[in-house]
Amino acid sequence: MLADPTMQTLLDARPSAIAEEPAWLTDWREAARQRFVELGLPTPRNEAWRFTDLRPLRAALSAQANASISPSAGELTPHRLTDAHHRLVFVDGRLDSAQSRVGLLRGVWCGSMAEALATRPELAEAALSAADAHDARPFAALNAAQFTDGMLLALEPGVVMDRPLELVCLRMTPSGPPVQLRHCITLGAGSQATVVESAFGDGAGCSNHVTTAALADQARLTYVKLQAEPDTALHLAELRVQLGRAAKLDGVFLSLGGRLSRQDIQVALAGEDAELALHGTYLLRGAQEAVIAPFVDHRVANCRTTELFKAVLDDAAHGVFLGSIAVREGADGTQAHQQNRNLLISRTARADTRPELTIYADEVKCSHGATVGDLDESALFYLQARGLTPAAARAMLIDAFAAEPIDAAALPPAIRDWLHFHLAAWLGTGEVR
Amino acid sequence: MNTEHAMEEILQIEGLRARIADGREVLKGIDLTVRSGEVHAIMGPNGAGKSTLSNVLAGRPGYEVTDGAVRYLGQDLLALAADERARAGVFLAFQYPVEIPGVNNMYFLRAALNAVRRHNGEPELDAAQFLRVVKAKLKLLDIREDLLHRAVNVGFSGGEKKRNEIFQMAMLEPRLAILDETDSGLDIDALRLVADGVNRLRAPARAIVLITHYQRLLDYVEPDFVHVLADGAIVASGDKTLATELEERGYAHLGLAA
Repeated sequence: MLADPTMQTLLDARPSAIAEEPAWLTDWREAARQRFVELGLPTPRNEAWRFTDLRPLRAALSAQANASISPSAGELTPHRLTDAHHRLVFVDGRLDSAQSRVGLLRGVWCGSMAEALATRPELAEAALSAADAHDARPFAALNAAQFTDGMLLALEPGVVMDRPLELVCLRMTPSGPPVQLRHCITLGAGSQATVVESAFGDGAGCSNHVTTAALADQARLTYVKLQAEPDTALHLAELRVQLGRAAKLDGVFLSLGGRLSRQDIQVALAGEDAELALHGTYLLRGAQEAVIAPFVDHRVANCRTTELFKAVLDDAAHGVFLGSIAVREGADGTQAHQQNRNLLISRTARADTRPELTIYADEVKCSHGATVGDLDESALFYLQARGLTPAAARAMLIDAFAAEPIDAAALPPAIRDWLHFHLAAWLGTGEVR
Repeated sequence: MNTEHAMEEILQIEGLRARIADGREVLKGIDLTVRSGEVHAIMGPNGAGKSTLSNVLAGRPGYEVTDGAVRYLGQDLLALAADERARAGVFLAFQYPVEIPGVNNMYFLRAALNAVRRHNGEPELDAAQFLRVVKAKLKLLDIREDLLHRAVNVGFSGGEKKRNEIFQMAMLEPRLAILDETDSGLDIDALRLVADGVNRLRAPARAIVLITHYQRLLDYVEPDFVHVLADGAIVASGDKTLATELEERGYAHLGLAA
């Protein structure tokens, strides 16, 4: 028995694994499990969690299992991007084949990890082992030890996926052990894909998902994440990406849900001329709390990063931004810019922001900044002087503030509109611009 | 002048006194009556209270009315919030139009126009109907359409900002338009364009109050009445010749600091 009862509950509650797992995966999981036990659950002394109230986290993690309900296709419809895309739907950690649909494309393997392990084990092994499970984040290690399924997307060199792949992660278990999916994306040299991951749920359960991506030289990935779980849920997620030479990642994040949510983003720029753009908005109200933690590692010379994250914080919500950019020795010619802007629309909302730059190279162009503020009074008056009610004027300014990262990101129009739709729904403005 | 609106009192200011946040009294008893169809120019040196007067009429926060009354179409204007005044047909063209990043000019204008229309019991305009109105007004004012697709006032030149104000006025069709130093910071070409817009928006049912430091706007927009505001009170009123007199002899002639 472990000294920590919450950890013991988590480890005991391991959902049934993928059928007939290969030996290497069993070993890989065991190593991750050991790592999780070594790391333990975060404590207030843990730097990466020091702004976060850990009590709801522990409470959610130690909750007992409850019955799960299967959603109907009708319930899914409002979450969908459009009807025309490739789509994989996972319900409570398992692929829902009835609601999933993937067209055949030459040079593309796309399907569930369980299917990949059965039919293309070499692809699955390469994708899973490309990401190091033995890292310092306990929930990524827990996910490696316990994930029940996930998506595997593998593109051969030069393949360009014409349409986005939609990845819907539904959690219908209202409480109990975390729903854990592990998605892997491997892009061959010069290939291109767009993946739109969304997380929805029901009730106060928890999810702990990891998405990894390995981009070979000149590959391009657009990765969009919408987190719209109920405001009673615990949502933990990590995106981990390695970029090869002249590869490019556009990451776009819209986070609206969760009692407590945390999005880790770990990007390694490992080939020269790699490019990274991260844009995100997190909107919180009530007692919601969110942590956005991008860590960008400039390992080699001449790579570029731009980052813009904005928060709208209402009621007694709490937003935490832990942004870190490291420029390693020899990574000359690095350009890296990081911004975090927080809009507090109530007196009791709180923002913690810690943008960091650690530079060990010469000849770099780097900047970072953070702001915390209220709505601009003169802009509010201007709108009201044209007939908008105070509420409409506020909504218009909040919408404009929140939409900037989404508008600044390089996105196909249909995805941008879909994000605007969810943004407007949260704001209650109801109108898609 | 259209007899239907002739002599209708749009704005009546009586003994208006107001102070600013630091407690200093800036308006010290203003009396002014503006009727439909009329254009009034209010001139005065810096610090006379011109901007305070326009802000108090528009309902900007930060001013306290300590005495007097303002009636707009017979109702107590000061009892209305800024947005209620706007929907009721009071328009302030800002001296410094505010830049609002992220808010598209068209989107903003449609929201504003529909707010006014709802107030008037008229149906809201959808995007296509709105666009038709926009095209008509653009033609009237000779304004380039590309301004409308940018964020409100963001990156606009001084002249573009002022033209955008006039365009908003054309769209919202107010009964009372107060133009606060709309001529400031404009070169002569921009001034002509703005003045031309104002002239086209003169209407029998509408009253216009031009607030200005300089006489030169009045070379292009001919007022029916000119008032001189000094130290918080109107010290002289007359027809357009008063403006010419001020131009020639300066505010000092009236015993005022320029």
